[in-house]
Amino acid sequence: MTSSLLTPSDTLDRQARPAAAARPDSEPLVHISNFRMDFGRTTVIRDLSFDINRGETFGFLGSNGSGKTTTIRALLGIYQATAGVLHINGRPFAPEDGARLGYLPEERGLYKKESVIDVMTYFGRLKGLSKAAAVAWSHEYLERVALGDKAKVRLDKLSGGQQQKVQLGVTIMNDPELLILDEPTKGFDPVNRKLLMDIIEDQKRAGATVLMVTHQMEEVERLCDRVVLLKNGEVEAYGTVEAVQDQYGGTVVRLQYSGEIPASRHYTVTRRESTYAELTVTAPVDEALILRELMDAGVIVRGFTAGRPSLDDIFVAVYGDQNTAGTDETAGE
Amino acid sequence: MARHNLGTVISFEVTRTFKKKQFWLTTLLVPVILGIVIALIVISNTTTESKVDSQKDATLRFTYSDASGRIDPTLAAAFGGTVAADEAQAVADVKSGKSAAYFAYPAKPTKQATMVYGADLGIFDNGKYSSVATKLMVASAQAEIGDQTLTGLARGSFQVDAITYKDGAVSGGFLGAVAPLLFLLIFYVVIVMLGNQMLTSTLEEKENRVTEMILTTLNPTTLITGKIISLFIIGIVQMVVFILPVLVGYLFFRTSLSLPDVDLSQLIVNPGQMVVGALLLIGGFTLFMGTLVAAGAIMPTAKEASQVFGIMMALVFVPLYAASLVVSDPHALIVQLFTFFPYSAPVTAMLRNGLGSLSPVESGIVIAELFILGGIVLRLAVQLFRYGSVEYSKKVSLRTVFARSRG
Repeated sequence: MTSSLLTPSDTLDRQARPAAAARPDSEPLVHISNFRMDFGRTTVIRDLSFDINRGETFGFLGSNGSGKTTTIRALLGIYQATAGVLHINGRPFAPEDGARLGYLPEERGLYKKESVIDVMTYFGRLKGLSKAAAVAWSHEYLERVALGDKAKVRLDKLSGGQQQKVQLGVTIMNDPELLILDEPTKGFDPVNRKLLMDIIEDQKRAGATVLMVTHQMEEVERLCDRVVLLKNGEVEAYGTVEAVQDQYGGTVVRLQYSGEIPASRHYTVTRRESTYAELTVTAPVDEALILRELMDAGVIVRGFTAGRPSLDDIFVAVYGDQNTAGTDETAGE
Repeated sequence: MARHNLGTVISFEVTRTFKKKQFWLTTLLVPVILGIVIALIVISNTTTESKVDSQKDATLRFTYSDASGRIDPTLAAAFGGTVAADEAQAVADVKSGKSAAYFAYPAKPTKQATMVYGADLGIFDNGKYSSVATKLMVASAQAEIGDQTLTGLARGSFQVDAITYKDGAVSGGFLGAVAPLLFLLIFYVVIVMLGNQMLTSTLEEKENRVTEMILTTLNPTTLITGKIISLFIIGIVQMVVFILPVLVGYLFFRTSLSLPDVDLSQLIVNPGQMVVGALLLIGGFTLFMGTLVAAGAIMPTAKEASQVFGIMMALVFVPLYAASLVVSDPHALIVQLFTFFPYSAPVTAMLRNGLGSLSPVESGIVIAELFILGGIVLRLAVQLFRYGSVEYSKKVSLRTVFARSRG
């Protein structure tokens, strides 16, 4: 994937795009403060506040049913917030305001009975492109994702992976300044997962702000500048990935070993496999002391590294006591 | 104020419908069938006319006896008849095939039956015996009267034109009802043909999981308004396609089709009735379409939503059960109920408006009721679409929707 796929094409009719009101770069692009969401007597979000700065990639994390999708729907005006402020570009989102938004919802699809080019052109027109620009952009995109010969084919005649490519194309039409991706890799095959990752990185390079909801912690560590962790309708942790890792403590020792790891007051074993283990350091001691302790106990150490806990570890630590089964975000609302 | 992206929605919805083969197959099926029927009628009528012409030339040879003394022998001879010497023999000759037919005119033809005997020519052609026997008697009677006008009057062959007045002005009668009743026809065609399409049209976003992407590019009110306007345009196109063969048939094959020669200049168009009819049509259309959108937003699939469509269709047709009362006694309780109950009001009120029995006060009440309720239902439908259609596979309760919209 080249960056030209995702950067604005020369064929785009820029004059046709309604420009969002220019705002200082210092102001966050997304501002959520004291957001509360009740569904009848059920409170889904108690008090949520965070900002997303322009140009950053932001991870919105939480277990299933924690209210992530609800927050995004409220941010996009699909739900009406019970209380609080949810702003994009300094005001509540309204489609007619002309903010350039690319949204890939968790529940996603397109008009299956229509041709690829008709659907892409329709969304391009809805997003403010002229018809000619939308058609030209669509053809260019389809060529680059090897679907050039499928432009006139009905969507339901395409394979699942091909449909996903079209979906991604629709999401990034009109050069979005804010890209909201809700469980973006859900249901994607490895090829499209790679395409998506390329898209996100290209969008970042092009200066877009990206809001990602995902359970794939390695993607968050790789792509996100900052994250917020949502638990029980409130912020559990918020900041840069490193700051959140530091907040959750302690050093984690990753061990390649054989033998029996002894119990110790200096660490707890948080993960144990036959030849690999992770120990969370619980006392203010040097890692070398732990290594000596292990070797004294007869453990044969083949590999020893110490570092911050992974987001995966933190996720398990934070949500381990919650039932994260299921996929329907709104099921528990 | 122009709605953001309304034109794009209308263009997309109309274009994609017109691009579908299924649409044209369905739409053209009606005129094609009508065209075939018209062609068959024209062909068969032409054949019949040629046959009649050829039969006219071939004179029927028959015998007859006349106990009444009314038959003119000269006319009878001209018709191909000869006097039978013996009644029983004449019948026997017909039986044996020696004679084609025998007519026995009784002494009192107005009180006794004239007997006709003939060789069997088939169900349809056997009618010519009675026809010739009757014509001979009529021609003989006319000859006896000796005055064409008097004969015509005696047969009731004269025209009567009625002029009636209402509020000091000439009222239209049937010709006055035709124009305003066209709105009722449009209402039926649009609702029956497109109602289900409206229901599935909004369900489409839900079933295809496209709702959220759509709602971030345009307002739900715009989407639904666009869909309703698109359907109205599609409905008008369908009606034109349906009407075309009828018009062609009327203009070029009126005689063959035995269609009445309607003098359109005689149609009476009352501007007041037309305005009321148009407003009832728009109000009723809004109410029904809004209700169908709301049903589409609540139901998870087209199959489940079709149950609602069935109920809506019943409400459209129920007033027809009281049609005779609407005509004969518009103030009957049931007619009043149908006039003011919102879902039976459009049909009943349009019918009464066409027949001239809907008072200005009643018109005002029904129109206001339809527009107010239509507006409320449309707003409700938008809310249901906004909150209900993101529930995708679930059937949504109104309580849930309002819980979400209130926050």
